[in-house]
Amino acid sequence: MSNSPVTPSGEANDFFLDGLAGTQNPDFQLEPDAAQTALPKTQTELQLPLVNPEQPEPAPQFEFDGMAKPVFTIHIATDTLKPQQVHFRSAKNLLESLEAQNIQVPYQCREGYCGACRCKKISGQVTYIKEPMAWINDDEILPCVSIPTSDLTLKFRG
Amino acid sequence: MTYQTFNKKHFDVLKEPMFFGENVNVSRYDQQKYPIFEQLIEKQLSFFWRPEEVDLSSDRGDFAELPEHEKHIFISNLKYQTLLDSVQGRSPNVALLPIVSLPELETWIETWSFSETIHSRSYTHIIRNIIPNPAEVFDDIMNNKQITERAESVSEYYDALIEGVNVYNSFGVGTHTINGETVEVNMHDLKKKLYLTVASVNILEAIRFYVSFACSFAFAERTKMEGNAKVIKLIARDEALHLTGTQHMMQLFAQGKDDPEMAVIAAECKQEVIEMFADAAQQEKDWADYLFKDGSMIGLNKEILSQYVEYITNQRLIAVGFDTIFPNAKSNPLPWMNAWLVSDNVQVAPQESEISSYLVGAIDSEVDTDDFGDFSL
Repeated sequence: MSNSPVTPSGEANDFFLDGLAGTQNPDFQLEPDAAQTALPKTQTELQLPLVNPEQPEPAPQFEFDGMAKPVFTIHIATDTLKPQQVHFRSAKNLLESLEAQNIQVPYQCREGYCGACRCKKISGQVTYIKEPMAWINDDEILPCVSIPTSDLTLKFRG
Repeated sequence: MTYQTFNKKHFDVLKEPMFFGENVNVSRYDQQKYPIFEQLIEKQLSFFWRPEEVDLSSDRGDFAELPEHEKHIFISNLKYQTLLDSVQGRSPNVALLPIVSLPELETWIETWSFSETIHSRSYTHIIRNIIPNPAEVFDDIMNNKQITERAESVSEYYDALIEGVNVYNSFGVGTHTINGETVEVNMHDLKKKLYLTVASVNILEAIRFYVSFACSFAFAERTKMEGNAKVIKLIARDEALHLTGTQHMMQLFAQGKDDPEMAVIAAECKQEVIEMFADAAQQEKDWADYLFKDGSMIGLNKEILSQYVEYITNQRLIAVGFDTIFPNAKSNPLPWMNAWLVSDNVQVAPQESEISSYLVGAIDSEVDTDDFGDFSL
């Protein structure tokens, strides 16, 4: 094998590695090379996220600064226990909010298909974040897939 | 009257009732009378799993170390689960497909039954893993009086419906003389058989299964037989969906919008169905007696399991629109069951797992301190 450089076949100015030759290219101009003067600011401080997404806080009700958040009052009634009152702030769903406030609700799937958390809605409105698949009567809701849109009165069995 | 695999009549399927209307012809899902059944199908398909995905290697050792009376509890419970899924793997198809009239419901019944066959296969997987001769366990299902009694009570309504539908499909409504016997077929009676069958399936999946799940999870609560609990967790997730299916059917029957006659029958059978729930609860308590005959296990005994039977029976009665029958069972005596039954920590895709199971036995997953013997720092 000889060490002679490989000569490209064809014209020498046919092409360049980073574009066409300038003279053949009147339509546009490449930006001139400019030395980079300002280096990006180096981060001197280690910034950790406020919440570790791998380990969410035990209470799922996060506070958001500067954001007006609707707070709904939820009245809880049962056949046996005395009535309680809690608040819905910004939990993922009604079930999590109730659990965070020590209201024990039966649950299983937490996805709206088993119906274990089904309860009676005496007054108020909720919206569903996921279409419930379990059977619910007109006066019932599934807390695991709903969030309140007004103050609520709920009735649990037991 | 004869069943037609492809009904040639032209009719508006949206005006058909769930059962005892026209036989289904085109399996089409562009228009649906009850979209819930299509949603159930999709959910069930998204739950697909295979028994072999679950690593059971630690169970063999756990089982060998269990005391005799706990072995009895574990194996008897598995036999019972095997029986229940043997019935459920075929009966919805045999009993309900010949009379179903909506394509989405027909497909749901098939999807539902299919998932039960996976459960059956998983019991063989579990038993093969812990016992040198699995035949001992399976053969006993047919010889054990306690189990065969249960088989009778879970299959009697199915069999009555299948028998009635057979005569109806062959001869139609009316009074017939078959083999010298006079058989009367009337629609009201057939529909009543259907209603009771759906109720008994709801009892099977919503009460009987959950009692057996409680036993499986009680072992895993003590970190024993955890591979088995993983399988049962997947089964429980499917069953939650199945019982939602039968609850929908029962509520649709009771409303009468689907078939006005079914509402009459539902009202007529109310007392009978409540008694079926009560009988099933009693049978489950008797079963608890048999399970714990040689002694209790840590965390579960006859009393606690019986309380759970009462609690779950009440819950299921409410779900189908009836009143509770056990006034004292207001709270769940096994609160840890919820955590085992929750589906959001069931591993869905193997690669996103917590996971002994993804390695499907490809790698020896046991790590012992000896394995680090030749390490030096």
